[in-house]
Amino acid sequence: MRRTWQRHINKLRWVSLSIVFLMLILLPFLHLYQTYEAAHAYDLLAPDEKAIYDAMERLTAPFVSDPVTDLNALKGTTWSGTLFGLKLSDPLAVVGQSAAGLTIYWPFLLTALIPIAVTLVLGRVYCGWICPATLIYELHDNLAAWLRKAGLPVSRRKLDRRLKYLVLAAGTIIAAISGTMVFAAVYPPAIIGREIYYAIAVGGFGAGIVFFILTLAFDLMVTRRGFCRYVCPGGALYSLLGRFRLLRIQRKVGQCNDCAKCNVVCQFGLDPLRDGFGQECNNCTACIAVCPTDALTFRVAFKDQPFQGPGHLGHEYRRRQENRQADAHSDPGEAA
Amino acid sequence: MKRRTFMQKLAFFAGVAGFSALPFGLARLLAPEVKADPHRRVPLPGSLPDPDAFRGACIGCGLCGEICPVKAVKFHRNDGAGGVNTPYINPEDRACILCGLCMEVCPTEALTETPIREVDMGTAQIDRVACYPWVDAGVCGACVGICPLGSSAIDFEFGNFYRPVVQKGCVGCGLCVEVCPEPSLPIRIVDRSQGTVAHHGIGVRRKIELR
Repeated sequence: MRRTWQRHINKLRWVSLSIVFLMLILLPFLHLYQTYEAAHAYDLLAPDEKAIYDAMERLTAPFVSDPVTDLNALKGTTWSGTLFGLKLSDPLAVVGQSAAGLTIYWPFLLTALIPIAVTLVLGRVYCGWICPATLIYELHDNLAAWLRKAGLPVSRRKLDRRLKYLVLAAGTIIAAISGTMVFAAVYPPAIIGREIYYAIAVGGFGAGIVFFILTLAFDLMVTRRGFCRYVCPGGALYSLLGRFRLLRIQRKVGQCNDCAKCNVVCQFGLDPLRDGFGQECNNCTACIAVCPTDALTFRVAFKDQPFQGPGHLGHEYRRRQENRQADAHSDPGEAA
Repeated sequence: MKRRTFMQKLAFFAGVAGFSALPFGLARLLAPEVKADPHRRVPLPGSLPDPDAFRGACIGCGLCGEICPVKAVKFHRNDGAGGVNTPYINPEDRACILCGLCMEVCPTEALTETPIREVDMGTAQIDRVACYPWVDAGVCGACVGICPLGSSAIDFEFGNFYRPVVQKGCVGCGLCVEVCPEPSLPIRIVDRSQGTVAHHGIGVRRKIELR
């Protein structure tokens, strides 16, 4: 059978996640290089600082003429930052900041416009493709699978998905009452970006890393990808925005053989086998990659299909099986 | 001259010298120890004047610290309270160069672009008992030389080339503190309410004309 190209998208996604994560590690080094350059302090640097300086100089020399000003085009984290001169912010930052300040600051709102537009079309794509915490969470989930295989009790409870909307609403209200950005303290991508920066450029982690380790423990001991699925306020916001997304994964019922590999591989606990995607799906394409009959594909549609019934390949298989059994039963009769 | 009279005169002059140095010695003994406060936390240039409003507007993205060319911007990290991950500056520890990049890069209204003359991080304060030119007409002028705001912020006293006087235009960037060669910190950054002149010694106070 000729396989479609769509099953390779998942590899592309891992590349994307890795690039974002490596960028977050690289940016503090670029910042250090920029600082040393601005201070004209090469001769005063320690040997390891000189190593950073030389490496970054070699890396950036083809692209920048004046590192002190040109490198400002690439700054920040996925929480808020500058990507090649384009200012981008997380929509959750805008929601939280508007609530905390009780005002709408338009220049800041505009920086979140592109992420919001992308989310409206592609759904919760940030969670699957960009979020630096996702990379760690997915690797962590693979570790959990190994532990499970080794016989350790890795819990996979089911909680109520609506919990995260509650967290979003409660966070917004607390922000409005207390006047502080509470989301910044509990939102893993913001924490990861910040902590990487602290660890490399400032020296030593901040308090956020403790919270992040707690979320890892939550994933391991309570439920699979539990924080993303049940708690993350950013995930809740992206889910709401991506509810009527254009690009959806859908099941071709004629090719599906009801093997349920998609349900097993889906870290968000969705139900592709019974057309249950919903607004939680982050278009990560893991189910497309794992489907042995290419029954899952991207389609342009505003709504998910209702349950289309069991896969027809399974029907076919079951019918043949039944026929075979019927033949086996009826054969002696015919012979007689 | 006999040895006896020589010894007497020597004792006399030693007594005079010791007695006249007494005020300085007393001043140094009684003077409060002056050190830069490592816990001083000043809001960044261009930040919202109300600290609560600033905390509400800051999203803790860390861009101001990342873009700062001199790494003067630091962050509240492990110290709890509502302002975790919000930036601060300690101009006495690491001076702000008033480049304005943090105001430019801030995505929210926490830091808004402000002309550098309207920035408020406090004001410089000169201890006239510790500053060389004020104490003994020494030759310095480093603080006046480095000030990015020129004579509107710090200038020499009228008719005297090397006695620095802080003016009203000082925004408290702290570059003068960094450049000051005297180890006992004659120039410091303080709140505006504390004034621009200090006399941390006691015995010498009368010798200095107050403004």
